[in-house]
Amino acid sequence: MYSLRAATLIGVGLAPTMLVALAGAITLARAPRAQRGASRLLRDLVGFALVALASLAVGLMLNRNSSRPLPMVYQTPEQRFDAELTAVIDAPPFKVAPAATVGLGEFRSAVDNKDTLILDARPSAFFQRGHVPGALNLARDEFAHDYRDLSPRLKAFADKQIIVYCSGGECHDSRLVANALLSLGFGNVRIFTGGWDAWSAAGLPAAAGSAP
Amino acid sequence: MVGGRVAGCGRERAMMIRRSFSRDWAALAVSLGLAAVFIYAGIDKIRAPLQFADSIFAFAILPAAFINLLALGLPPFEVVCGLLLIGRPTRRIAALATTIITVMFFAALASALLRGLTLDCGCFGSGTPSRSRMWVEAGLDVVLFGASLFVYLRSIPRSRWQEP
Repeated sequence: MYSLRAATLIGVGLAPTMLVALAGAITLARAPRAQRGASRLLRDLVGFALVALASLAVGLMLNRNSSRPLPMVYQTPEQRFDAELTAVIDAPPFKVAPAATVGLGEFRSAVDNKDTLILDARPSAFFQRGHVPGALNLARDEFAHDYRDLSPRLKAFADKQIIVYCSGGECHDSRLVANALLSLGFGNVRIFTGGWDAWSAAGLPAAAGSAP
Repeated sequence: MVGGRVAGCGRERAMMIRRSFSRDWAALAVSLGLAAVFIYAGIDKIRAPLQFADSIFAFAILPAAFINLLALGLPPFEVVCGLLLIGRPTRRIAALATTIITVMFFAALASALLRGLTLDCGCFGSGTPSRSRMWVEAGLDVVLFGASLFVYLRSIPRSRWQEP
């Protein structure tokens, strides 16, 4: 698997550079008059490499001064979420049965009846741009922080229904948050798989900004 | 006879200078368009490096050790290329850089499409994964590649009057 990835990486990363270098070499070999053009291309490629290195240095400096710097080695959303969940329950996440799902009709009636806690698992920037009215933001990428903030309101729904949604399509945030809540002892947690995309596509009412 | 030849050379030179000016205007207009696209795309990614890293991960091409380096290095590179496209002396290098990276973007997107992946390419901020958007973005890459190559070729001095 990794050899395939490495081959694709080499293809994607080096092929264009090699093509340009090959074009330069052919130009150089074809006519002595073209030597000036080839040396210009070589200078441009050196300039390209210098700009790339300087940009990487700028990116690393920006990351160092960022409030939430990226680690040097990438962690998948699942790995990051496991770390967040471990911060809350101080133990590795338990394995639970996957949460059940609801469709748009059932979700809409739950929103209208106001007897269900609706949770939006998307990052806060997306939540503030638009969300289902009455929903609270329990973002997957800020789970430990948001869970602590919402803890009193969540505990009031420990035995009632909770529905979690994210963007829709193939987003995994709602599944991860729902399973984490099941792990934390919430008994009735379900997922609205259509998510924000299905809700907004149906022209249903939306709220914006932070939750009350 | 000699005077006629001198006058002919003068006309030819004036025509070449006029052509080079019109070439300059076309290259400048396309460069400014490219600069706007790359600066916008770069700033959008600088603001959300984690989402961009997730987008790179979704392509399943790079090993974990390189994903964050690319997520941190590429957005400033796009902004710098955009800025360098504006200035005439630096335009040629920037155009070569954008030509190369658009080929890389296209290769990555094409490989994901061929492998049947549905992802958010993260090209202009994060969004919902969609195959139709992937096709649109691959098409946009082709347009950006054409524009970059045009600017690069137009930025190469063609005559002795244009030589720096």
